[in-house]
Amino acid sequence: MLSEHTIPSDYDDEGDEFIDFESYYSVEDTDLNGFKDDSDFDITSDMNSDDESGSRISFLISTQDSENLGKKSSLSGSEERGLPKLNYNCLTTDQIYKLMLQRMENLQPIFNIPLEDMIILLQRYGWSEERLLEQWTEDMEKVLVASGLRTAKHDKIKRGIKLHPNFMCHICCESGEKETFSLECAHEYCLDCYKHYIQDKLPDGKIITCMNCDLALRNEDIDKIMGDNSSAKLMLSSIKGFIQKHSNHYKWCPFVDCNYVIQVGNISSLSEFPRFHISPYVICDNKHKFCFQCGLESHAPGDCQVADVWVKTAQAESANLNWVLKNTKECPKCGVNIEKNGGCNHMTCKSCAYEFCWICEGCWKDHGGSYYECTRFKKEDKNDNVESKGSLRKYTFYYRLFSEHENSAKLDWNLGQTVEQKVRALQENVGISWIESQFLPESIRALIEGRTTLKWSFPVAFYSDPSHNLTKIFVDNQFLLVNAVEDLSQLLQIKEPKKIMEKKLDFYNKARFVKSRENALIECGRDLLCKGICIPQK
Amino acid sequence: MSRAKRLMKELQAVKDDPEANVNLEFVSETDIHHLKGSFLGPPGTPYEGGKFIVDIEVPMEYPFKPPKMKFDTKVYHPNISSVTGAICLDILKNAWSPVITLKSALISLQALLQSPEPNDPQDAEVAQHYIRDKASFDKTAALWTRTYAPIDILEPKNNVDEADLYGIDKALIEQFLSQGFEEAKTVEVLRRLGIKSMDPSDNETANRILEELLK
Repeated sequence: MLSEHTIPSDYDDEGDEFIDFESYYSVEDTDLNGFKDDSDFDITSDMNSDDESGSRISFLISTQDSENLGKKSSLSGSEERGLPKLNYNCLTTDQIYKLMLQRMENLQPIFNIPLEDMIILLQRYGWSEERLLEQWTEDMEKVLVASGLRTAKHDKIKRGIKLHPNFMCHICCESGEKETFSLECAHEYCLDCYKHYIQDKLPDGKIITCMNCDLALRNEDIDKIMGDNSSAKLMLSSIKGFIQKHSNHYKWCPFVDCNYVIQVGNISSLSEFPRFHISPYVICDNKHKFCFQCGLESHAPGDCQVADVWVKTAQAESANLNWVLKNTKECPKCGVNIEKNGGCNHMTCKSCAYEFCWICEGCWKDHGGSYYECTRFKKEDKNDNVESKGSLRKYTFYYRLFSEHENSAKLDWNLGQTVEQKVRALQENVGISWIESQFLPESIRALIEGRTTLKWSFPVAFYSDPSHNLTKIFVDNQFLLVNAVEDLSQLLQIKEPKKIMEKKLDFYNKARFVKSRENALIECGRDLLCKGICIPQK
Repeated sequence: MSRAKRLMKELQAVKDDPEANVNLEFVSETDIHHLKGSFLGPPGTPYEGGKFIVDIEVPMEYPFKPPKMKFDTKVYHPNISSVTGAICLDILKNAWSPVITLKSALISLQALLQSPEPNDPQDAEVAQHYIRDKASFDKTAALWTRTYAPIDILEPKNNVDEADLYGIDKALIEQFLSQGFEEAKTVEVLRRLGIKSMDPSDNETANRILEELLK
């Protein structure tokens, strides 16, 4: 794998590419098997050993699909020994809740109270069993009263909804025939007021009590008053609070509309990652890959520091850049940035004395009589001039590349949405099975991941010493990945199902090629960081 | 609509209970969102003998959302802003419950005057004063009560001594006045530094004040 830093010089020939792929493929295949065996070992060894025992990132994923598991192993790229690993699970909030319910059932014999009351207790203690048990053993009665599970006075009133022929509600001050609700405390209010009250409290995720005392409503009470499964909303909010409180163990997938939660088992290993200039990437069940450390999307080959400095610079500079882009134009002749701060449209460049029209950027002499009313259509952007002069120019250059690839990745994402239709068309028109058509979504994933890596390779290039040989190799590697990505992208534009099937092997090859180029680029970037050639600074 | 009914009922309840010494009325006949409440300063406190007026804004979601209350009368109290009259009290925020009425909220404010919570301050300057020198704080709070909240006189006096108003030692101010600094500036700096009095031999503090004054 190490030899991949150097570029195969004869790769651009189609035939060679195929052979290349074959070799990559077989390499990955063995790796994959090795990984599977190893990962079993990792899980067991992890129980009683520290982080040193690990060999590399191992993926403990709840998915049953062994093919996915294999894919992920190849994604991790660096199959080197000695790198820290991260054990994690991908969970939905439902799963988290179910896990908690399970644990509650296990705990129930200790407490010997109904499960509904256990939920309230755990809610009160922020789902921390240790704290609850501690307090419970200290003073059981106190915990019960504080959590609103006991009244001071023990009236014989049953909690629940009742119908009163003539009732005056102290909240809304309406009277007449009303349905009411009360707990054992006998603080009785009309159902409408209770509904209103609970509705407001559901998003807080805290225990809902009687309006007049600390007695708690159980989930079943909430469901009775609100109907349906309203308490689920309360539980969801409660779990959200729990995840926020335990953000070092749990993180939401940062992708839009993704509700998965990643739970990391061995958080102590997180501190190991920066030393190796790699980041603890996790992948949720929606196949979103993100960095558990900084919460950004996958930003390889850059490490968290590169990403952090780059993003902060981008935020600080974007105001500047936007201003420059908005208020200045480049002299059509010499490319110097010019700000027009008033006056007429007849511009004379201070740098090269070229006279031009501000509106159309054409030569002033050609304007004839229509001096002040330029109606000539504005030419396409001429901002392709990319020689880097000065740091802002250099930054602008890299930033533009970065955002261009970001935009392309977004477009590819949209492309991915149409892939579903293509897959269906394949199944219906060509009559192939679902599993056989999976090469399409996999190719699109390879494409998007390739683009993301490409995008984040520009910050690394920006912060690297340009005169160093390794930087040059890195740039060459970038170039190779660009080509590989564009090739694959073109292939994915094909619409006819038949043609797609004919090119099936091509899809495989090109996707694999993107992946191997990506890994090579990531490794090369890591080398730049490890050797101190790439130094991110503001 | 339930809100209107409830408010009318609350107003009636206040009228029916003159012994509570709480007053509640609409600012204008046409607007039931906006009320003014008032209560007497609790006896045995520096607020005794004062009448405190509270501005009350009733939200649409009342009584499920708490009313917005702030003091119209200037009050010297750790949990009440001496500038805006904003109140730091849990039942007006997250501890609100629909069973709490405007009257009970006003009574809670009265209780707040009785037992300040200097560790959860709204006004840091005042809270600091309270913690450092309770006797001096009481004197200032009582002066504010006499000045801004007299029961019988409606218009507050304005010709009060600045130093007294912030509980700053007269001798300390004199010391800097004699050095040619303006009184207003001196009071402002001393307030900013949170210094109410000073040991005459404490050169370090004196230098710090001088430094601020010369800025």
